[in-house]
Amino acid sequence: MGRRRRRRVDPADAARALPEAIAVLTRTLPTGPSPETFRRAKFDRPEAAPALWRLLFCVLSPMPADGASPSLALEAQARSVKAALRFQGYPRRALAQLPDDGSQGGRELLLALAWLLARGPTLEQLLAQSRVRLGDEMPVCECESLASPGPAVPSVEADGCVDIRHLQWLMGKLRFRWRKLMASQQEQCALLGKIHSYTRGCHSDRSLGHLSVTETELLRDPEGGQQLLQRLERENVRLEAALEWRRRELVFWQWMDTVLGACPPEASQPTFLPKIPAQGAAELELVVRELQALQEELQGVAETRWAAWEARVGGHGPEWSASRRALQEAVRQDLVALQWAWERGGGLAQPHGPHRLVRTEAGAPEGRGLQATEVIEVLRSREACLEVVLGQLQGQCRQELARLVGTLPGLIWIPPPGR
Amino acid sequence: MLPADCSSRLVAELRDALDSCAQRQRQLERSLRISRRLLRAWEPAKTPVPEPTPGPETDEEVPSSAFTACSPSPQDLKELELLTQVLEKAVRVRKGISKAGGDKAPTVKSESTATSPATRASTRLRASDWTGSHASETKPPRGIRQTRVPAKDLSEHRLVSVEDPACIGRGARAAKLEPSRRSQETVPLAAPQAREVFTLKDKGILLQLPVAFRKAASQNSRLWAQLSSTHTSDSGDAATTAKNHFLQKMQTTSGWPSSRLSPAEVEAEVGRLQKACSLLRLRMGEELTADPKDWMQEYRCLLTLEGLQALAGQCLHRLQELRTAVVEQQLEPWPEGRLPRASSPCGGGADTIRSPPLLLYSSTQELQTLAALRLRVAMLNQQIHLEKVLMAELLPLVREQEPLGPPWLALCRAVHSLLCEGGERFLTILREDEPAD
Repeated sequence: MGRRRRRRVDPADAARALPEAIAVLTRTLPTGPSPETFRRAKFDRPEAAPALWRLLFCVLSPMPADGASPSLALEAQARSVKAALRFQGYPRRALAQLPDDGSQGGRELLLALAWLLARGPTLEQLLAQSRVRLGDEMPVCECESLASPGPAVPSVEADGCVDIRHLQWLMGKLRFRWRKLMASQQEQCALLGKIHSYTRGCHSDRSLGHLSVTETELLRDPEGGQQLLQRLERENVRLEAALEWRRRELVFWQWMDTVLGACPPEASQPTFLPKIPAQGAAELELVVRELQALQEELQGVAETRWAAWEARVGGHGPEWSASRRALQEAVRQDLVALQWAWERGGGLAQPHGPHRLVRTEAGAPEGRGLQATEVIEVLRSREACLEVVLGQLQGQCRQELARLVGTLPGLIWIPPPGR
Repeated sequence: MLPADCSSRLVAELRDALDSCAQRQRQLERSLRISRRLLRAWEPAKTPVPEPTPGPETDEEVPSSAFTACSPSPQDLKELELLTQVLEKAVRVRKGISKAGGDKAPTVKSESTATSPATRASTRLRASDWTGSHASETKPPRGIRQTRVPAKDLSEHRLVSVEDPACIGRGARAAKLEPSRRSQETVPLAAPQAREVFTLKDKGILLQLPVAFRKAASQNSRLWAQLSSTHTSDSGDAATTAKNHFLQKMQTTSGWPSSRLSPAEVEAEVGRLQKACSLLRLRMGEELTADPKDWMQEYRCLLTLEGLQALAGQCLHRLQELRTAVVEQQLEPWPEGRLPRASSPCGGGADTIRSPPLLLYSSTQELQTLAALRLRVAMLNQQIHLEKVLMAELLPLVREQEPLGPPWLALCRAVHSLLCEGGERFLTILREDEPAD
């Protein structure tokens, strides 16, 4: 309480606060439109729209990892923005009704931007996505591989029937690509190991000890190094602006209230939006089917064993019910812990995200970071689990096929060798 | 031939898998190119060695000028001239001594530095070697030390010694001059002129990061730490209230019920339930393989199985709720051409904002094992996903097709290979023909 400065609200100060806040905001945003754009947007001037479409596109689509994003036309950007906002559950329909050519809608876009900023740590996430990575990083979880979006709408050329041999061919191609990937990865690790050991002792930060590829590269190539330095400095500017934004954003939100107030109210009855065939619905169905299968299995397994158990154990004395209660409680807690693993917030005990690789001597003091040996353990057990799952699925298929074919007379089914 | 919708779905899935593989490969190739280039001999840089702008105090140096070439003033040039003369003299003296039986050729001098960590300490080490052998030439060696070393073999690279005021000694502006490039031209060193090539292997430990970069990097990590620490501080209480108020108002003016689920939320929940399913199945597997010794253990096992069944039921229920919600509220769960996730699903919140944590490895073998396992896990995940999709599409086809002639057998064989052997092996089907009589 004592730290808050009691400021006399000076009208000139108050008048300046909003433009300053907006200026700070534009400094943190990736393709910062000018503060003037914001003011125009409030009054729904058409010239504000294209800049805001582009900004929203930047905010909503992550920078592609390849670094080479084909710059889309404004129309395509506008369509992506609409789809992304709808996906996130943006409440206002007026945005969906804006023309695709990006010529209108300044105010609506401003509202959308504010909505995104209000909902979550958008600015911080944007900064984190485009952050300059100085180390050699490796993710320790597989979240990214699991989170890849499902197949896009099938391309037109895949229309029509294919022979199953085409599928076999594609599978073979996939296997080959994985093998190649493995080999390349091994080579890259060997090279990294060399670079790290050749530059040990060079880093000014003692806890790191050696240079990373990026840092060594900047020494090899001063021009590239200059660019890296500039990117770093630009990022520092954005970070400072983000910190300042936190101090100044209140006035922005008050202003956004007025912008919202200036909009005409929307009709209360939602109009019918065209239905698009959903790929994800198939995903939902898959999970439903899996869970149903699991439930059936569990039921089948437990029934007979319960019966056997009941028969053997009958009724016991009072100590029986005490231990029974204890067991029930233990199992209940077990299951709660299990449930926590997939609920919100679960799974954070596992290390996540990219980690910077640092080469140390074996037996170095712990506590500096994650040890590779631990991660290897975790991955090995994960690998084992997944192999079991895959084996089960394949076994299921085998049984099913054998069943289907086995009913036919006169067929001999010779499984391949080497099982 | 497979029916059209089945074909298109399967081909799309396989193409998607191929594309993600290709993307990883592209990234790897890029990294490989850079790493290979680093391990080869480095070509001399085109631009002059960077140097802080000359001036009495360069503490307030503008970072961006750190890499820009600065032209020396006439005074500096004069001093450089003086220095090179001194250098020549020293070389002559040195040569004289080494001819007289000294073993250390100038080239060897620099190699010895490879054994000590390349810090300012190492340059001082070399200096003491010099002063040890040339007691009479106390002043020049100090001057020599600065320009000699960079000029000698590492002309292309930025050694630190020139930037350290302590090393420079009194008023030696010489240290602030651009070494190497110009001195290289003006100093006809009597020493072997073989321009030594820089390889990371031999001289990597002599490298040091430029000052400007170090400053920017430390400022960068400081700012990130600040950003993540104030993330949950109290400074934004009023702002948070204002934000929530704004969001609520947006919701109420939109005319749609606030209980509506966004497609993103639906997808996230389906993902969670998918994870639940695999965890439950895993747990079931554990319970089934465990061998209970007595009735208490058996009881516990059965209770667990029962509990798992209840949880599965709960998840199913939730999924069915989601399904009806999607249908009822006319959601388009996964709109056409949607952008990939803007926010990374992992790294819960604040953690991504800090500097990346460290992953320590101790040998190349370890690193390779780690990377190989990661790839293997990713590959298995992909295989499992494909297996499920293929099962869902192909098994019904085999079941439905009635004509049991050769085409159906061929289909069976192909399906078996895809589903049961990962497409790697094939089985043989022998058909008994009626004896022809």
